[in-house]
Amino acid sequence: MAEHTLEIALAAGVLSPLISFWALVLFGPKLGKPVAGWFGVVFGMGVPLACATYVLFGWMDAMNAGESAALTANAWRGTWAVLGDVPITIGVKLDSLTVAMFFMVTFIAFWIFFFSVGYMSGHSDEVAGQRKYWLFFAYLSLFAFSMLGLVVSSSLVFLFIFWELVGLCSYLLIGFYFDKPVPQYAQMKAFITNRVGDFGFLIGLMLVYFHLGTVDLDEAATVFAQQAASGTGIFASHFTMFGWSLATIMGVGLFCGAMGKSAQFPLHVWLPDAMAGPTPVSALIHAATMVAAGVYLVARVFRLMTPDALMFVSLIGCLTLTLMALVAVVQTDIKKCLAYSTLSQLGYMIFGLGSGAWVAALFHLITHAFFKAMMFLGSGQVIEGCHHEQDMRKMGGLWKKMPVTCITFLVGVLAIAGTGIPGTKIGLGGFFSKDEILAVSYARAFEWEDPERFEEEHHGDGGGHAEVELTKRVLLASDPVQHDNDHAETAHSDHGTDSHAAGVGRIFANTPALPKWMFYLALFTAYITPFYMMRAWWLTFMGKPRDDHVYEHAHESPMMYIPLAVLAVGTVFASYFLFRPLIADAATAGSAASLVMAIDGTVHTPAIMAAHHFLMYGVGGAFLVGFLLAIAIYRNGLAVGDKLKRALAPLHTLLENKYYIDELYDIVFVKGFLLIAKIARFVDTWIVDLIVNLFAAAAERFAAFCGLILDKHGVDGVVNGVAKSSRDFGHIVRLPQTGQIRHYILAATGVATIVFLCVLWASSGANDVAMAATTASLGR
Amino acid sequence: MTIGLTHYLIVAAIMFVAGLFTMMTKRNAIGILIGVELVLNAATVNLVAFDRYMGPDRLDGQITAIFVIVLAAAEAALAVGICINVYKNLSTVDVDRANSLRG
Repeated sequence: MAEHTLEIALAAGVLSPLISFWALVLFGPKLGKPVAGWFGVVFGMGVPLACATYVLFGWMDAMNAGESAALTANAWRGTWAVLGDVPITIGVKLDSLTVAMFFMVTFIAFWIFFFSVGYMSGHSDEVAGQRKYWLFFAYLSLFAFSMLGLVVSSSLVFLFIFWELVGLCSYLLIGFYFDKPVPQYAQMKAFITNRVGDFGFLIGLMLVYFHLGTVDLDEAATVFAQQAASGTGIFASHFTMFGWSLATIMGVGLFCGAMGKSAQFPLHVWLPDAMAGPTPVSALIHAATMVAAGVYLVARVFRLMTPDALMFVSLIGCLTLTLMALVAVVQTDIKKCLAYSTLSQLGYMIFGLGSGAWVAALFHLITHAFFKAMMFLGSGQVIEGCHHEQDMRKMGGLWKKMPVTCITFLVGVLAIAGTGIPGTKIGLGGFFSKDEILAVSYARAFEWEDPERFEEEHHGDGGGHAEVELTKRVLLASDPVQHDNDHAETAHSDHGTDSHAAGVGRIFANTPALPKWMFYLALFTAYITPFYMMRAWWLTFMGKPRDDHVYEHAHESPMMYIPLAVLAVGTVFASYFLFRPLIADAATAGSAASLVMAIDGTVHTPAIMAAHHFLMYGVGGAFLVGFLLAIAIYRNGLAVGDKLKRALAPLHTLLENKYYIDELYDIVFVKGFLLIAKIARFVDTWIVDLIVNLFAAAAERFAAFCGLILDKHGVDGVVNGVAKSSRDFGHIVRLPQTGQIRHYILAATGVATIVFLCVLWASSGANDVAMAATTASLGR
Repeated sequence: MTIGLTHYLIVAAIMFVAGLFTMMTKRNAIGILIGVELVLNAATVNLVAFDRYMGPDRLDGQITAIFVIVLAAAEAALAVGICINVYKNLSTVDVDRANSLRG
């Protein structure tokens, strides 16, 4: 294979949607209703999907040939700009995770684009009186560009740029029907909430920039490990906040970005409201891809996380997954129910990452993307078929009218619930991914105190599994000297490709055990998830129709159920066999060399499962309990559910109001902000304005004095006075100038006479001698 | 009675005053010109007389007198030219009408 072929294919896949975006923006209105949509499908996602497929097979070949590590190391990267001493790199991150994510995003997005054509044909494309059909696909293309760019970027700066772009697209698409008030508020809420998280991201990015001196993901990880080993750089700082070191703050800051984008607990409020957007948007952005970007980010910066930061990640993930699952139980809006389910599942991923289940979390990301996108499309189909009715209480019995939707939705329900046969490899997506997260968190919570015993125990138990071989390889490869010093350490396996290998993997001496209650909460939620999903499915498709009007109209269209079927097949087959090995490869190939690699799910899950039968059946069988409970309650319609609701009224009210978090934010932030604004206004009016006005009045008086008195009577007086007096003098002087010659002569004669007389008078009074002399001389 | 300097001076003074008076009273420009000639000639008579009686061995006064005569001739020619132009412009030689020099 020629050098950089895969990078070029990836770049082509990223740029094609951008071209599609501009083409649609420039020529979209001329293309007309179905053509613009198909254009978007082909160029916005068809080309990237082709590229992704090519890259996938190319990468598989490389992996089989053992060339993948070299490809990763030699992936194209360049310098975009140099800020200070730090080069801002631009490049393609080429590893198994990128390939898996790229394929997942393009595959799901392609079918959602496809679905959108059908969806938009049944929807009004009029926004604010203008036909915006083309704009919808332009936005979708722009989103595709941003999302793929995010996945491919090898530098944090570009990751951040694309990160903001997907946020923008989310904003634009939630508010696609911006002439209605609800999407407007939803888009604002989404954007502003994301800004909060992005601010944290920016802080983390700045810390990376200043202290690690590079923004390239791999370099940053290497530098971080070196600094941790030598106690220099960011580890030399004594700055602490909330008991966190600067290095922890960096990790938490980066995680804050993920909290916003992946809607984790305190910042989760925007995601349910974002369901006001069109359903394909909900499926694409707010279920499958963009919300997973946060998880992807955490996975990418996993190597920059300290144990404290990871503990924080676990905590947030654990809170999210539990609290949101409980809210999902009481939702009656089908899309809202799915939204809270998404929140809960994202919480699982984040929790998994924080606990060290890197592989399991990312695997869950991909399986979840498949089945959640499918379920959202299914809900879109249902809503479309039921004439925009979203209340599940008014549905029921739809399986007769929408068989394909019903079955695919059920596949999604089974997958998210983790259906499978415990102890075997037979099961749907969630069975592997979610259960693995639970197994790892169990290990972190209960067996972490004595890592040495832990390691021995599970090596022995899991002898039959190929993964254990890997463990041994990983552990043997690590530095024996350091291994003696700190057991609770990471193993790092990319000695072959990374010259900084020594000590890179084993960074932190004391990674704490996970609190046990976190595991219990996650386990508890594993029982809630199947319950609310089965409840949603049963209420929608099973039982008797509860609203004849809705039931009458219900129908499904091929344009919309083809994508459903494809994604259902993907959910069943593709995930485990295709994506699982890729992600495991990404972890072992060193791109995720992490502090908890030693207990990574890849390595130990089967061992843990086998060692603890209660875990295997307790987690693996959760779906059955949840399903049966849901069916038992909702078998005969809503009656039993309503009874329960009345019995648990306070709890129900709390959940229905989502823990009053929106209200809390309203009071604390919105009202608080308004209060601050009022105070500021008061201060402005009564203090600042007063002072300013005082000064203004004083200045005005002074100016009046200067202008009217001093200037007019003083300066002007002098100037005018001079002018006036010279004019008056001129008048006087011109009086004798009569123009009459005789007057001049008269004057001249008169003056001459006077002068003569004066001289005469003067000389007569002077001295007689002179007079006599004159007379004498005259008389001579 | 011998004719002395005093007589000449008296005649010159009479001529001078007459010329002056003519200049002041005449409204006709030509008349004024005649007055000017009288004044000049009075000065010439004085010059000649003073030269004859105060410094007979020198010719300063005589020469100055000749200068004055020449100047008077030139001035008269000039003045007549001005008069003609005034007449052309104003159709009169009445100096009271030619008052554009008034301040």
